[in-house]
Formats: sequence, structure tokens, C-alpha cells
Amino acid sequence: MRNRATTSLNKPKIRQSWSKYNLYNLSRIRPPHFGQRTFFQQKWASKSMARDYHGEQVPEKKWQRMFSPRMRSVVPMSSFEMAKDDGSSQSAGRGSGLDKKPGAPDTLEKFIRSRRVPYTQMTFAPLERRLDTAIFRAMFASSARQARQFVVHGAVTVNGKPMRYPGYLLNPGDMFQVEPERVMYATGAPKDRNERRQTRAARKEKAAAKEAEEAAEEAASTEEAKDETKGEAKEEAAVETESPRETLTALLAQAKNIMSRSKDVLPAKRKQELRGFQKAVRRILSRSGSSTVLTTNLEEQFAELTTLLKAKRAEKPSDSKAKEENGENSEEATAEKPSTENSASEDVAGKAPENSPITTQLAEAFRQATQNPEQDVDASELTDHEFEVLRRALIQMRDNPIDSTKPYATPWRPREYMSAFAMIPRYLEVNHNICAAVYLRHPVARPGWTEVPSPFGEATHTPAFLWYLRRR
Amino acid sequence: MFKWLNAQGSEFKHHTPGETNYLSKLDPKLNEKNANGILEKPFPLNLSFRSEPILSEDLRNEIYNRVVRMQRSVRGVSVELGVDMRRVAAVVRLVELENKMKEQGKSLAIPYARAIHEMVPTTPLYDDAREYRSNPHENINDLPVHRLTDPQIFYPVSESRQFNRIDAGRAFSGAPALLHRDAARMAAEPDETIRRITQGDFRQIETVGKGEDEQQVLLPADARIPHPHLIANDRNRISHGMTEPGLVRTKYYKRLDQEMEVDQKRKERAQQRRERTIHKVQPENSRFEFRFRDAVVSAQTTGANGRGSQAPGHRYGVPSYDRKKGQVKIPTRVKV
Amino acid sequence: MVVRIRLARFGNKHKPVYNIVVAQARSARDSRPLEVIGTFNPIPQRPTGLSDEEARAARAYKDISLDRSRAKYWLGVGAQPSDGVWRLLHMAGLIEAKKVPNK
Repeated sequence: MRNRATTSLNKPKIRQSWSKYNLYNLSRIRPPHFGQRTFFQQKWASKSMARDYHGEQVPEKKWQRMFSPRMRSVVPMSSFEMAKDDGSSQSAGRGSGLDKKPGAPDTLEKFIRSRRVPYTQMTFAPLERRLDTAIFRAMFASSARQARQFVVHGAVTVNGKPMRYPGYLLNPGDMFQVEPERVMYATGAPKDRNERRQTRAARKEKAAAKEAEEAAEEAASTEEAKDETKGEAKEEAAVETESPRETLTALLAQAKNIMSRSKDVLPAKRKQELRGFQKAVRRILSRSGSSTVLTTNLEEQFAELTTLLKAKRAEKPSDSKAKEENGENSEEATAEKPSTENSASEDVAGKAPENSPITTQLAEAFRQATQNPEQDVDASELTDHEFEVLRRALIQMRDNPIDSTKPYATPWRPREYMSAFAMIPRYLEVNHNICAAVYLRHPVARPGWTEVPSPFGEATHTPAFLWYLRRR
Repeated sequence: MFKWLNAQGSEFKHHTPGETNYLSKLDPKLNEKNANGILEKPFPLNLSFRSEPILSEDLRNEIYNRVVRMQRSVRGVSVELGVDMRRVAAVVRLVELENKMKEQGKSLAIPYARAIHEMVPTTPLYDDAREYRSNPHENINDLPVHRLTDPQIFYPVSESRQFNRIDAGRAFSGAPALLHRDAARMAAEPDETIRRITQGDFRQIETVGKGEDEQQVLLPADARIPHPHLIANDRNRISHGMTEPGLVRTKYYKRLDQEMEVDQKRKERAQQRRERTIHKVQPENSRFEFRFRDAVVSAQTTGANGRGSQAPGHRYGVPSYDRKKGQVKIPTRVKV
Repeated sequence: MVVRIRLARFGNKHKPVYNIVVAQARSARDSRPLEVIGTFNPIPQRPTGLSDEEARAARAYKDISLDRSRAKYWLGVGAQPSDGVWRLLHMAGLIEAKKVPNK
């Protein structure tokens, strides 16, 4: 929902925000044409327009005290040019009619001459020092107001210490960090109605389970529990009858689907796929003896799957060797790996250790594949590329899981219209993995460029600068 | 509004990985891409702001590797990879923090980081080391514009005299011109002159003015850029680069080592100075350490009326403005 | 009348900072003293910029600034330190530890 107080559509004001309303307003601003207006009116209009964007949350008096007419700038120097000339050739003959020959190859100098330093664009540079603005600039929050809220709510640390003042002025070298969860919430797409419903259902289920658990504890009826587990085991056994090769192919297909990054795929559809993939992975895992333990913890699940993949990698060369040899390769292949063979027998017996069932299943799958006359199917199953696809899908699932307890839509995806505002100014060095950034230096202007992000050009900034320049 | 969002605005709803997706895309005049094929102006009205590339994950890890694992100097890595020294230091700090958080098993925002790196231009890790010279992440030799260089000065110089950057600095700060002899000596060995300034004691720099107006003479631009040793290197390259490139390289590394040594020494000296003024006592029956700093109470510090600000302690008869309007009441710095 | 070296409390509520002052014994605590010879911050500060291991072993510290020559002078002319200041001056190595009289 649009905040009508801050994001007006009648009298558009540009804000430090990623909302679509702001984007629309941004798309329709035009360069100001002052026409017959007085100089005072020009200055007034410009400064109010600029202030709607720059430090809108800062009181005017406070900003006036921060304003400084001295603006920082740098000139990029080339060490090569400076080595060629100690400055004397530039100064030689000035005023005595000696001028540079046309077409002198001083490219850097020419470049600097050709571009003026946009000083007035630096009018609002002091505001970029504020902690809340810097958080917004580092893309940790979707608006400066939200950044301010993060600070006030204690989600931000400066140099490792909690900092609750959004007006704290960062010093060069200060490192600030926002809680990654908050950043994910601020920048992630919100949940839609279905997801919210699912969250509620999950919460209720959890509560019910908790109650049931308590009830069960009270009753302490162990026999019933045993029966239940037996029933589950039976079900698992029923699933196990499905051939491992089929599940593998299904897995691969799903992984491929996930990794295919076509633009027109709807997020909802992708989510369905992901969910399906997760289910399939779980199903495979549940075949192993210690399934109930493993499926609970996502990390362990991932570790298990990676070991599975490693096992695949290890077995692959031997398998291909086996293919090169004659028909009775399968026996040889199994003979090469006595351990897996052993575990297979154990599996049959039903006393499998934790990791072996998976490898045995794989081994079995490979044996079946090699015994099959349809070699092409088998080959497609085992290419390196597909391993890679499967592995990447697994990693993605680990990093970006479906979790209804999160306050944002899962798996995480960027919020809509975020890319139109995505930029990171040079005076910040940001590490997005940990949602931390270092304020390297104050923003500076250089020939042709400014470092203060602003939607307005010099036509607005110069009158605004003049407004604040006046002596009071 | 929704008409716009559904028509033209729909482009901005989702991003394409590896491309920027800015509003200026709609304007045919602005829809021009830079050398790297990236649309870099996020705001259609502000042509003097561009979205500059950030370090890619690989380049960041490479910087960390070189500085921490290979123990290279920050200065050297900065020159090799074309990244500002402050940024190199920040990257090391951030990666260290990241490793620490990983060790502690804290949750990271990995999908978020990936999405950002898809939306924003990035500087990749080049395979060819020459790429860093021709297409660096940023200019590493930025000269800050000094306050004294703002006014335009009419400064007549005799024709017999070479007027170089050292003289320009003196002219800007109003210092008397150098003697011919000194100027000639400095011009004869420019590398040594600059080295003496940048690696020497900063308190030895000549000053002009008296009392409160006393200030250091403006140094030449060669000494005020972050990498003065690169000028010496380029001078060497111009004179000997064709004939003996090996020698140039060894000299370069020697200069780097020298810079590192000087930095190290400076740090040590500052540490020693800090420790000399502080006398630490750790009583056995106390949980705390007591640090005694030396203060000076004399006519110079307290002043004639006893209200001087140099003297230690709360001053009597001087109002404290700590609750007054306009006074900064929140912390101004957080110690690392 | 006796001249004492004692502490005068300044700072805010819950944030004391003391001046180490030389004053007439009967004068008010925070009144203008003969001389201020230092300050004492009783709030322990955590040392910063240390590695994890160092930080674990490090003690919190209390800051004192003191003009030693002035303290010596005032002790020499018979100024009597209060108990708290006595402890500080003892730690600074200017006087012997105070002997607690046996009752």
C-alpha cells in the first residue's frame, strides 16, 4: 500500500525509496523550466524539490547546520604524465604568446579540461554521511525511512557496537552492519496471500503438534508411538519399490528445470518446481536407514546429498572403465568396490550404517544402467554437466530454502522494481553476503562526475545550492 | 499510473542478470551503453551521476588472498589490481568478518548478494594482469583538491627559471620562492626530493605564517597523491624501460619494500609514542587496570584566568553547552 | 586549615567524572579549588582493537590523567590526600600505601 503522506501522485515528490510509485514519479519528472519566475522562486522551488529527496527525514534546521559551501573534489592524476613533465613545460611561455600546438597528445589533461567538475551536485553530500542514508545507499534497506527504522530498532552496528542514532555521522573507515535477516526482509519480495495462509497453517500445525506432544508425554503410551513408526516404515518400504534409476532421472529433470533461468518463468511456477525438487530429494533420503533424523535438519540433508554426489563422482570413472570392457562388467564393477557390495547386502538385511545405503542404491542404479542395452539413456544420466546441474540445484536449495517462518516470500527473490534503483556509490565498499559495508571516504566530485546519487541535474542543484549559500 | 506500470514500467519489474535496468533505458537519447556494454546512468535527469561497477566476488577474494595469505603489502596489491588502498583495506576487513560469521554458523544473505551482483555492474577478475592497467576498477592516484588551490593567482616568474609543481605549491601557500641553488638541486633529482617528503617526518615540512595562521607549505601534487612511488617508476620506465626492463622492475619492488618499511616504522613509532605517555598499573587486588596519562598544569595550559582549555579536568566558571540547541549530542565516533 | 588533595565530582547522572583537585579541607566539594591537577574516570573502559584471544585476557581499564610534578609539590608542602586519591597516588608511585591503623 502506498504511503499517501510521502508518495503523492498529484504533486509528485521523489523520495529515497524503491517503491513502484516512486519509480512512476521518477519516470515523469521533467527538467524544470522557470520561465518568468523570480530568482527567489527558482531557488525556493529547486531547494524544496531537492530536499524532498535528500534527507527528507532530517529537519530543515539540522540540515542547514550541516550544509557546507566547501565541496570536496579530486582530480584523477596519471603517474605517467607526471613523470614526463614536472610542470615546467605547462607553465613555460605563459603570457608571452607561446601557446600549445593544436593536437597535443595530452589526453588526460584534455579529458579533464573537457569536463567541468559538477560542484553544485555535491550540495547534499554532507547528508550522505548519515548512517541511515548510508544504509539505504548500500542497498540494505528499501528506503531511507526503513533504514532509519532499522537503526532505531537496534538492528545496526557500527564497528561492531550497536548504534541507535540514525543521525550518526559516519567517519571514514567506519564499518556498519545490518542484521542479514532484516535486509532479506527489506529487499525481498513480500509474501502473497497464499503464502500468508500457508504460514498461518504451519504455525497452527506447529502449535497443534506441540500440544499433541505434550499430551503424548502425559499419556506416556510408548506402544502407540512404536506402532506409528512401524506404519511409516511400511510406507517407506512401499516407496522403495520404485526403481532408483527413475527417481534419479526425475531428480535430474527437476534440477534442470530449476537451473533453467528463463525470464518468462513465473516465480510461482519456479517455486512449485523447487518444492517438488525438495520433496524428491527428501524421498531419496528417506530411503536411507536414518531417514527420520536426516530429513529434519536441512544442513545435514545437504551434507548427505553432497556426499551422495561425491560418491557418484568417484564411481563414474570406474563405471566408464567397466563400459569399455566386455559384457560381464557389472560384476567387476561391484567387485572393485567390495565395501559397497557389503553394504548392499547389509541393506538387504536392513541393518545399514548411515551413508552406505545411498551409495549402494547408486551402485545398483549404475549396475542396472550398465546391464541395460539402452546405453544412450545411461550416458545422459551420467554426464559431468548433469552432475554439475544437480549439484548447483542442491546448493541453491541449501542457500535459498523454502521456509514459511520467514517474513518474506521464500525462496527469497528480489522485490519488484528493485533493479531500477540498484546502484552502489564508490565511497562505500559493501559486502552483501554479511550485509556489512565500510564508509571509505566522504563523497567527492571529479571532472564530469559526482558521487552523490541524486535524481536531479545541475538545473535543480545549482539554485538549491544558492538557496543554502545565502547568509542568514 | 498502473497504465504506465503495466506498459513501459513492466520492464523494470524484474531484472536481467548481468545487465543494469535503469530508467534511462526508456529515453532513446540516453540509451547509450559504455565501453563495457552497460547502461550506466540511473537517473534520466542527472547526467553527471553514473552507477559505477563494484568489485566482483572473485576479485574480492583475490584481494583478500594476496593481502592475507600471500602477505603482500596493501600498496602493492592496490597497484596490481587497480583498486584504491582504502578499498583494499576495507575488503580485507569485510572478508575477515565474513569468515568469522561463517565460523560462528551465522546465517548469511547469499541469495540477496547474488541478486545484487546480477543487477549492478561489476569489475571481474581478469586473467590477464595487463587488463588491470588498461581497465582498472578505479583511478588509484586521485589528487584531492586543496583549499589553497582554489583562488587563481597571478604569479610572475622570470624566464630564466623553470616553474614546476614544487614552486606552484609554494606560490599557492604564499611561501617565498626557493633559492636558485635549492631549486636546481631538487629539479636534478626529483625522485629523491619526493621520497624525502613522503617518507620523512611530516613535522619537518616547512611552514609559513605566524601564530594561528601558521600552516604547512602546500606540497607538490607528486607528494600528495596516494602512490608517489609510481611516478618514480614511470620516470624509470621512460628512461630505461626499453633497454633494461628487468632493472626497472627490481627497482619498483625495492621502492615498494621501502614504502612498506617506512609505513611499518611510522606505525611502530606512533605506538611507542602512545605508550610512552601512558603508565599502566595492574594492582593485584583489583579487577581493573589503571592508566595514568601525563597532564601538564602550568600557566601556559590554565591561562591567566585559569580557564584555559589545555589544562586537565572540568573547568570552573565556564558554561558547558552540552544541552544547548545545535550542539551534537550523539556519539561522533565509535572506536574500532 | 588543612589543604587536601581530593576528588570533585562532575559529569552527569550515572556518568561520574572526577577532577583531582587541591583544595581547602572545609570548602565545598565542587567549589573552585586551589588547583586542578588531574582527572579520574571511574567507569571501566573496554580495551579495543584487540584480537579475540587478547580481548579475553585483557582487563578493563580506568583512565587517570595526572600532573605528577604538581602532585609531588603539593604533597611536599603538606597537602593531605583523601583515601581515594591516596590509592591513586600510591598506584602512580608518588607515596607509600596508606597504613590502616589497627584498632
